[in-house]
Amino acid sequence: MNLEQIVQRLCAAPGLSGREDDARAAAMNILEELELGNCSVTPLGSLICRSNMGGERPVMLEAHLDQVGMVVTRVEEGFLHVANCGGIDRRLLPAQRVTVHTASGPRACVVASTPPHLKGDDEGPAKWEDILIDTGYSAEEAGEIFAPGDTITPQAGFVNLQGSRISSPALDDRAGCAAVLWAAKLLKEAGYNRPLVLALCSFEELGGQGAATAAFAEAPRCCYAVDVSFAAASGIPEAKCGKLAQGPMVGVAPIMNREMTQVMLAIAKENGILTQLEVMGGSTGTDADKIVSAVGGIPTALLSIPQRNMHTPVEVVDLQDIENTARLMALAVMGGDR
Amino acid sequence: MMELLELTRELCALPGISGEEGKVAEYITNCIKDCCEYKIDLLGNILAWKKGKNPAGKKLLLNAHMDEVGFTVCFINSDGTLRVHPVGGVDAAVVVGRRVLVGEKLLPGVVGTTPIHLMDAAARDKGVKMDDLYIDIGVDSKEEAEKLVSLGDSVTFEPGFEAFGEGYLMGKALDDRAGCAMLIKLIQSELPYDCMFAFTVQEEIGCVGAKAAAYTLQPDLSIIVETTTAGDLAGVAESKKVCALNKGPVIPFMDRGTVYDREMYARAHRISREKGIACQTKEGVYGGTEGRSIQTAAGGAKVLAVSLPCRYLHSPSCVLAQQDMQEELKLLEYLIEEFAK
Repeated sequence: MNLEQIVQRLCAAPGLSGREDDARAAAMNILEELELGNCSVTPLGSLICRSNMGGERPVMLEAHLDQVGMVVTRVEEGFLHVANCGGIDRRLLPAQRVTVHTASGPRACVVASTPPHLKGDDEGPAKWEDILIDTGYSAEEAGEIFAPGDTITPQAGFVNLQGSRISSPALDDRAGCAAVLWAAKLLKEAGYNRPLVLALCSFEELGGQGAATAAFAEAPRCCYAVDVSFAAASGIPEAKCGKLAQGPMVGVAPIMNREMTQVMLAIAKENGILTQLEVMGGSTGTDADKIVSAVGGIPTALLSIPQRNMHTPVEVVDLQDIENTARLMALAVMGGDR
Repeated sequence: MMELLELTRELCALPGISGEEGKVAEYITNCIKDCCEYKIDLLGNILAWKKGKNPAGKKLLLNAHMDEVGFTVCFINSDGTLRVHPVGGVDAAVVVGRRVLVGEKLLPGVVGTTPIHLMDAAARDKGVKMDDLYIDIGVDSKEEAEKLVSLGDSVTFEPGFEAFGEGYLMGKALDDRAGCAMLIKLIQSELPYDCMFAFTVQEEIGCVGAKAAAYTLQPDLSIIVETTTAGDLAGVAESKKVCALNKGPVIPFMDRGTVYDREMYARAHRISREKGIACQTKEGVYGGTEGRSIQTAAGGAKVLAVSLPCRYLHSPSCVLAQQDMQEELKLLEYLIEEFAK
């Protein structure tokens, strides 16, 4: 199994915040196939994988498992009313293909697009209360198949662009999950024998509840968290972005552990791994914020994989960045003082 | 012979924006070559003459257009992303965040946008403009992009044809490959009278092909086989729905481009009643068809449109009902009998 296959398998499994079941099962299968440790699931649905336990507290490698999407709020005349689950751009919804996860299995549906004759000249995107999903079923059938609370994820699948660029929904943060799994594989191959915990956490898109509780339960001695962050693209201020294929964006923020970050940057330099700095003024808007203050405080470093089109069906990352993030994490775990 | 559904699926999968209908035309000629006489005219229209059991009393033409809406690459940015210009009427909102195929090699690309996190509230409530859009094929410089893409290359939505729900279909280009599929089925069947068919080019940019085809064929009567916007969504007032899926083909009295022949309109609705085929009219004056061009070509022809009600036209996910296609195909057989005698 190569890294691309891992990413692909993780992205193919849906996992809205609080409903990470399929994504978690996909990750668990990979962990078991690669024999990376013993898996368990927390009460909130985060996946924990422990290896070499005993003696000292473990190092934790963390990424979030959940993705943004929508939930069904009401079924009307064969159409579904919805609410967002995480930050969804309403401008992108018209005619978007989606999968609705019902009690009787996944159903292909499409977001309705307002016909031109019902639309004003300079009208913005529909408000949430006016967004409808077309099920292709009659009122009666739809009432039996769909129910409030059913989750909705984008249908667009995985695609290879030129070179090592890939696009898929949910690369935020399955790309990070893949980096964590790959780092664990590299550590295993290098014979790393100290306690290690991998945490693929639930609920990041709704506030990081999965990471806060997993960090509390596992009480690691330090943590490397992996998320995605903004990559430069047309129309985005350059100062807010990293660049694709230029290596992990290492988080520099008051909340991050400065020593871990400095050591990691030195290790990257020694090993010729490209990195970029992502400077933030306070907290980071990632699971790292929740992990830092868990238990009695956990020294934490953050690596972000640069990504374009975050929270859209066409998120784009570069496989090299995922690989370099994994390599850097593995080297930091082996070479860091902690 | 291939079923209507499979035929539609294969036709929709082909890329063919206005002016680039070659692949579609090649597919169609392969389907009809043993069933009729045909030629391809200078613009790329397929003109076909089908022998029926009897010579026709009136020269009847049925036509459907082969082209689909899409884009053409008009500029390559320094970062290797592509700027595109729409070919035909496309709402930017159905394009942003979608996957597309670029050029002859069908390179996969994505239509990028600013992440929601980096937009203020006002920007989130503003509609997407075509000028904001760019296509990312995964290269980082103009030089790299130029090795793969040339200005003028066509861009289409990814096919993604899919049956869903209770007998519904979704896909790009159902407008008007669904019409092409029905005409192919008619040509492959035995018809009561001689009949002419035209698979036309460049409808989406102003019915260019139909004008030339109608001049060449000079029909007495013409039936435009099309798709038309249905507004039958939950919560839409009855007066705004215009037409609805699963209620049969739509035969309009008028749209934004054409006042259809009154007598043909009345006869078509009468035939559908007599034969027990569901049929509706368009409850509102919107949209248009090639009727406007055929009506005025050469010395003029009487025109009728028979359209499939279709949701989300000109998007990567047009939706129609299979039952409407079956009903329309049956109705067209009866209309040939009625109008060509």
